Amino acid sequence: MKIRTIRLLAKEGTSNIYKNKLMSFASIMTVVAALFFLGILLLIAINITTNIESMKRDLEVTVFLNVSASAFEREEVVTYIEQQQTAGVVAQYRTESKEQAFENIRSELKNDDLLKGLTVENMPESFYIKLTNPAFSDNFIEKLKTFSGVNADYGIGYDKAELEKLEGFLKIFNFVIMALLVVLMIIAVFLISNTIRLTVFARRREIEIMKYVGALDSFIRWPFIVEGILIGFIGAALSFLLTSQAYTWLQNVLNSILISFRLTTLSILEFGPVALRIFMVYSIFGIIIGGIGSLLSVRKHLNV
Amino acid sequence: MIRFVDTTKIYSNGVVGLKNCTVSVEKGEFVFVIGASGSGKSTFLKLIMHEEVPTEGEVYVNGYSVHNMPRSEIPFLRRSLGVVFQDFRLLPNKTAYDNVAFAMQIVEATPREIRRQVPLALGLVGLSKKAKAYPHQMSGGEQQRVVLARALVNNPAVLIADEPTGNLDPKTSWEIMNLLEEINQRGTTVIVATHEKDIVDTMKKRVIALERGEIKSDEQKGLYFNEN
Repeated sequence: MKIRTIRLLAKEGTSNIYKNKLMSFASIMTVVAALFFLGILLLIAINITTNIESMKRDLEVTVFLNVSASAFEREEVVTYIEQQQTAGVVAQYRTESKEQAFENIRSELKNDDLLKGLTVENMPESFYIKLTNPAFSDNFIEKLKTFSGVNADYGIGYDKAELEKLEGFLKIFNFVIMALLVVLMIIAVFLISNTIRLTVFARRREIEIMKYVGALDSFIRWPFIVEGILIGFIGAALSFLLTSQAYTWLQNVLNSILISFRLTTLSILEFGPVALRIFMVYSIFGIIIGGIGSLLSVRKHLNV
Repeated sequence: MIRFVDTTKIYSNGVVGLKNCTVSVEKGEFVFVIGASGSGKSTFLKLIMHEEVPTEGEVYVNGYSVHNMPRSEIPFLRRSLGVVFQDFRLLPNKTAYDNVAFAMQIVEATPREIRRQVPLALGLVGLSKKAKAYPHQMSGGEQQRVVLARALVNNPAVLIADEPTGNLDPKTSWEIMNLLEEINQRGTTVIVATHEKDIVDTMKKRVIALERGEIKSDEQKGLYFNEN
């Protein structure tokens, strides 16, 4: 196809949008709505995922030594942890000595009666270990259990099960989002193909003449596809603006709620860092929705 | 040039369009196809243009086998044909010039070719002065001339006219027929479907008469058949 022809076809497609103002407006709004819902769902998913990820990263393995653990037994554990640190499994760790443990429990309990019988000597020493990757936890914990200074049954804590539950929920959530997404896409494609069908109908005389004069199928189709793609892209751009405004507003509201409930471990993502990603997703989806929508109606109603 | 070999067309609703029709039209001929409505005139023309495909038999047009033609070749068959309709079928939002130029844009002619050919075609049909007029500003005869110019601008080997004078008064009809004859004398094969007895009888061209889908007669210098 010649450049001149491409320009002609692109011009036809663009002017069609203007000629069919009302229907173009309706389809653009459909794309805006569909992509807006898609975007909000996507942002919720991103937020949940990043929060779970950061929770996973913050998750510590806690190791309590036996109260009666000897200096040698303690040294064994420290050596192993440090060795794992150089190996890249352990990100960082801190220790809590018997004295600190006693101080902590005293300040927590405040009631001297309960403290009777508790001495520094019968407090256990403990380690708080952050792993570089939660995936290492199983092996790491198994190994720790083999040390005689560690209480294998009660001495090791790791809240992995909680996280796994959350992750399972996330999987279901992602699945629901995918399903909703498919439904939204189908609706949008259907509505766009309706718009293009009206354009096809409005231009059926022209199309008929084109057929008789011997226009190639592609020559007849392309203006409609250009029209659909443009509608999709304009809808994507508008929807992006809408999403950024709505999300920023929502972020402020949620942040103030989180602060008032002191849920500082949870954080709402800023829009800025994900803006480009969202825009790309919108554009690609918009263009695909528009292109497929017009292709469908052109195929169906242009029996050349 | 155009050859029908034992061609039958039965529409999906059972209506017989054409039945065992064998006929050929040579290069440079001027042929009338006559018959009452429903006699198969339109089917005959539609089969040439690949608007319909035969149920049985073969149709050859300008070297294309229309009866078993890949879809991708249809545009090229049509580029070798010029088509004129009873109801003109001009684009109302384009001037006479643009309507003709449109036919050239579709076949991807260069702007230079378009600038050269369009005035030539409009001149041939005697409409140079109306180039900038829109269809609604022109008379029926003038509109049909624009259609002729559009059909001719890509230099087709065959011109097909389906009732070209059906919407025109007798005087204008004659102007169009004279134009068709002139085009024929320049070497274009012309096929005209009509039921205007006057014109057929006066022009003394080859006449293919159809009745209920069958060829009733095919005569050189024929007359519109007598009701006997």
